[in-house]
Amino acid sequence: MIDPKFEQLRERLAETQDLTKAATLLFWDQRVMMPPGGAAARAEAIATVTRLGQERFVTDDIGRFLEDLRDFEESSDYDSFEASLIRVTRRDYEKATRVPPELVGEISRASALGLSAWGPAKEDSNFEALRPHLEENLELRHRYVACFDPPDETYDVLLDNFEPNMKTAEVREIFDQLKEELVPMIREIAETGEIDDSFLEGAFDLEAQRTFSLDVLQRFGYTEEEWRLDQTPHPFMTTPGHRDIRLTTNFRPDNLSSLFATMHEFGHGLYEWGVDESLAGTPLASGVSLGLHESQSRTWENLVGRSRSFWRYFYPRLQAILPSQLGSVDEEAFYRAVNKVEPSLIRIDADEVTYNMHIILRFELEQDLIDGRVAVPDLPEAWNTKMHEYLGVDVPDDAHGVLQDMHWAAGGFGYFPTYALGNVISVQIWEKAKEDLGDFDESFEQGEFGELREWLREHLHRLGRKFTPQETIQRVTGSPIDAKPYVHYLREKLAPQAV
Amino acid sequence: MTVTTESPRLQRLKAALAEIADISHAQQVLEWDARVSMPRAGAKARADIASTVTRLAHRRFVSDEIGKLLTELDGEGQDPESLEGALIRITKREWTRASQIPSELAGELVQAGGIGVAAWDEAKAASDFESFKPHLERQLELRRRYIACFPKTDDPYDVLLDEYEEGLTTAQVEEIFARLKGELLQLVDRHREDPIEDVPGPFPVERQRAAGELVLEAFGYDPDSWRLDETPHPFAAKPGFGDIRLTTHTDESDLTSLFSTMHEFGHGVYEFDIDPSFARTPLARGTSSTIHESQSRTWENLVGRSRGFWTWFYPQLQALFPDALGGVDDVSFVRSVSAVRPGPIRGDADEVTYGLHIIMRFELERELLAGTIAVSDLPEVWNARMKESLGVDVPDDAHGVLQDMHWSTGLFGYFPTYQLGNVVSVQIWDRACAELGELEEQFARGEFAPLREWLSEQIYRHGGRYAPSDLLRRVTGSGIDPEPYLKYLHTKFA
Repeated sequence: MIDPKFEQLRERLAETQDLTKAATLLFWDQRVMMPPGGAAARAEAIATVTRLGQERFVTDDIGRFLEDLRDFEESSDYDSFEASLIRVTRRDYEKATRVPPELVGEISRASALGLSAWGPAKEDSNFEALRPHLEENLELRHRYVACFDPPDETYDVLLDNFEPNMKTAEVREIFDQLKEELVPMIREIAETGEIDDSFLEGAFDLEAQRTFSLDVLQRFGYTEEEWRLDQTPHPFMTTPGHRDIRLTTNFRPDNLSSLFATMHEFGHGLYEWGVDESLAGTPLASGVSLGLHESQSRTWENLVGRSRSFWRYFYPRLQAILPSQLGSVDEEAFYRAVNKVEPSLIRIDADEVTYNMHIILRFELEQDLIDGRVAVPDLPEAWNTKMHEYLGVDVPDDAHGVLQDMHWAAGGFGYFPTYALGNVISVQIWEKAKEDLGDFDESFEQGEFGELREWLREHLHRLGRKFTPQETIQRVTGSPIDAKPYVHYLREKLAPQAV
Repeated sequence: MTVTTESPRLQRLKAALAEIADISHAQQVLEWDARVSMPRAGAKARADIASTVTRLAHRRFVSDEIGKLLTELDGEGQDPESLEGALIRITKREWTRASQIPSELAGELVQAGGIGVAAWDEAKAASDFESFKPHLERQLELRRRYIACFPKTDDPYDVLLDEYEEGLTTAQVEEIFARLKGELLQLVDRHREDPIEDVPGPFPVERQRAAGELVLEAFGYDPDSWRLDETPHPFAAKPGFGDIRLTTHTDESDLTSLFSTMHEFGHGVYEFDIDPSFARTPLARGTSSTIHESQSRTWENLVGRSRGFWTWFYPQLQALFPDALGGVDDVSFVRSVSAVRPGPIRGDADEVTYGLHIIMRFELERELLAGTIAVSDLPEVWNARMKESLGVDVPDDAHGVLQDMHWSTGLFGYFPTYQLGNVVSVQIWDRACAELGELEEQFARGEFAPLREWLSEQIYRHGGRYAPSDLLRRVTGSGIDPEPYLKYLHTKFA
């Protein structure tokens, strides 16, 4: 027996969900389509629609539905759609009711304005143009944190928005393990001599890159009917509606990095695409946390997209599209080049090993900003110092340093650690998939990725947000989050003895 | 707005209206995206989203709070000539109209529109009227329910017309169209035996795009605030102040994309030039569909099909299409793009036959709403009337009843404003010529700024401040009048 109140709750949640999706589209459009002249009006539109959604959600009647449905929830199976929806909504509601709608509106407006300022600031390498926006964003974060019970660490509250239930201290513990392993590994690799990757730089026709990217995506499971791929300076994925998956990538005329960005965003898209149909139109219809999300993007970017078997199939096709650049480069040389470990300036172009150090740096700096140990005007210097310390690189200008990412401009403090957590989780899940299915080399070599895709859908994607991230990892892999498989994978694949 | 002492009530009203404006921007993005960038499978979810946004925005707008504010503001005696007076007048009109219908119906209309337009897209591609039929029936049913929410009018169609054209009645449209129809039919007949002077292509799509950009640039298109995309059915949208979006449809076999680009520019420039201090108020949009259309037709036809324009632009166009145009002189080219040539498609129609396409739609949609034509008979009736009025044989429904998207999304009562726009465009144009002197000479030098500035000053910057009939009177000194338009046609197509 379904409680009629449950249906009412569900209808109300569908409305909120629709408003969220409308805001999502406004955001996508702002980044992909909108002429710059529209920035101010767009910031207002996003703020209003977001606030409307928030107001519609935090009403007393939703609270009453949740109270009235307690018995129904308890009498329903924990795994059932109904119990899950009530449970997750209760958590969302308890969080949302802490934050006044005006503050939510202010936060999203500041985020939109910050994003609009970030583009030109990065282009001109002008930190000063972004500085007031960062200050505003930080100030708003403090007001946001103040809405909650005092946490162990201020950062906990921010982290919880991206990785629910996880504590800063837990992240620190995992990152300390990574740091301990990776810093020496990076040094060892540096000492073993150069891998030639000069052919990855050159002149690469943008249309050819697009053709190849779409070829890969279609083999992975992308269809024109449900997906699209656009060009933006900062690649991302978003879903402005059920069966409407949007990826962006950054085709560059002088290198092939966009290929990996495309596969990365595909992983995000696939997770959203694979959420069980029955959850559509409810708050359960998305990936459960950014860490889990990132595990999926890193799976397709790295575990698949930087594997030998993937390139066994695709390299001849890439050579055919770019004969003058790659005609004389053999597959093994290409494989080594795209797996080259080398400290560099830009996070999104980083290899699998150094990438984590980029994240750890950001994780530490954003705590410093939030806790006031670093003032915003001093941020570029703090950034450059740490880059030197962790990766031994000198940052030439802020465009290649502190301005490279949009996250802080948009107010996304607490987001970065989920990238490295995703790396960690991706290998846990990967190992489990291989345990079930054997390794994928043979199918990848034939350009077949359906087996992996279906396994991921069956074991992870379809669950959406029904369970907490911790429960989800446990259900998929049989164990809690654990850095060891990841470190093992990196050693096997990339440490000098294995190369 | 420049206000020294603004009453707290007015401030509250403006705050509420600002939100409504934001939501309407969001709705425009939802719609623009559905037509330009959305993957097809997203249509169902998109219709739900747009419907929810509309329903909630409607509920907010028709709230007692706004009604009460409006009543109280009435008591404050704002000067009706002032901006505040205009704001209150428009808000009251929109509030009164919106209050007639339940929020659920407002949402349902949008939902059915989203589904309808997606169904139309597929039906048109396959020339399959049968698959579109249930959607059209649903649209008609919804429109009838919508009309029934309003106080009874002389003609039920009045309710729909008034939405796009404040105060316009069916009787007025009938009178103007009756006057036009006879004249247009005569003109068509007179030109029926004209030798056909087609300029055959191909005109590569990329080059057409370049040509469009050259023209837009000369007209005053600012890439920081505008964009131009490709869609099957061209349109213009303003999803935010300072954000103007045009679309065009480019076909390699002809140059119609150039004219649709100029057409949409006219819509875009009207919106773009609105006084920036009107942002986030209901004053920040063109005052009516007719005035809007008068501006798109001005830039498409009065400018874009003028000899002066082509004196300036033709050499550039020739340079872009040396193969197709190298041997065609400018006089024959202008003749070919202005020729009266009855054909099945409204969007491609010349200045003379265009009006007949509209009059036919006006008649048909009234009969559909009244139920005197059954939806299942529509294609047949359509084809018969095309034959009767224009002497055209419709090859298939894609080139007949399915060619326009309007009915699929519930736009009944909209078509007449196209032809009224033609009428009004010439009234305004005559005034512009009287004040600005030889416009064609300016065009021949590639100078369009004086015209734009004049239109901007007279019309665009005022946005919705003046009711359409008041605006027309301010600019031209008279009400809507078909005679100048007929005179223009008779002169041009003598």
